[in-house]
Amino acid sequence: MQAPSWVRDVFENYLICEFTSIDNGKPVTFPLLFFYNHDPSRFTVTSSILFSRKIEHMKKNPKVSLLFSNPEGSGVEKHTILVQGIAKIQDSDLDHGWERYLPMWRKKEPYIDGFLSAREQFAWFWKRIVVEVEPEKILAWKNGDTSKAPEAITL
Amino acid sequence: MEKWGYFQSPGGNHPLTTLDPALDLVDPDRLSRFRYGVVTWIGEDGFPFSVATDFLLSENGEILLKKPSTSPPMTDRRVGVLFNHITGIPTGGYTDRRYMLVWGKVSDDKGFLKLHPEEISEWDEKILPFDKLCAAAVPQGKKYLESLQPSIDA
Repeated sequence: MQAPSWVRDVFENYLICEFTSIDNGKPVTFPLLFFYNHDPSRFTVTSSILFSRKIEHMKKNPKVSLLFSNPEGSGVEKHTILVQGIAKIQDSDLDHGWERYLPMWRKKEPYIDGFLSAREQFAWFWKRIVVEVEPEKILAWKNGDTSKAPEAITL
Repeated sequence: MEKWGYFQSPGGNHPLTTLDPALDLVDPDRLSRFRYGVVTWIGEDGFPFSVATDFLLSENGEILLKKPSTSPPMTDRRVGVLFNHITGIPTGGYTDRRYMLVWGKVSDDKGFLKLHPEEISEWDEKILPFDKLCAAAVPQGKKYLESLQPSIDA
């Protein structure tokens, strides 16, 4: 079964998600740039080692969620979608492992090449961990109306 | 977002990206510039559950969250509420990043969920530019690299 087009629009066009990891039972949510791959269905975020507390959380508890609620800058209508899944951490190649996502990153943030050209200056920002999330459950609120019951989505 | 009353900024320079149990860390003036909040709790299945909802600020600076349809009984439940803002750039990407993450318990209040703040973490790139944020985070980067060292040595 294929997800409705409005759900795919969100995954393919929203710039950021609200990503939650769990720190000793406490939810910790930050806005993060994400990348979506539809086959197989995976959500990926990357994190600099500078902001790696969330990675430490996920190594202890891989259960995470991604909420897509902010259409700003995406050119698509507002919908709200929650993805719950299991995070897999890839940190064996901090310098180059994340580079395979650069084409998708560049599409979302065209100015990223300017930061890349200053890679030496921000050396530790560019030491990045890859987090791949395999979705387990997806709930969606069309038009962002969370006063109504969500729709369960299968990818 | 509807706003109740008027708030005068306390004018204090709260340290950013820090945790503090003081309740008055939530600056209502800064908070009122966000349009909605993302409420997150840990569900019975152990996964985080987030939902976006509108909020109001009372004259006393209380944070009143509109009850989402999916929320379980929330009284005395500890939640995290993220208030986030970006401005899209016409040529792609975004700017004007700022967020406020508030943890606390919630209680029922006249049909709303009243948030009782216990901790806060916030960042506004106009107050703390990104390069300075990176510089402040170097100890965490060093810690992470050191945690990888055993596997590199193996």
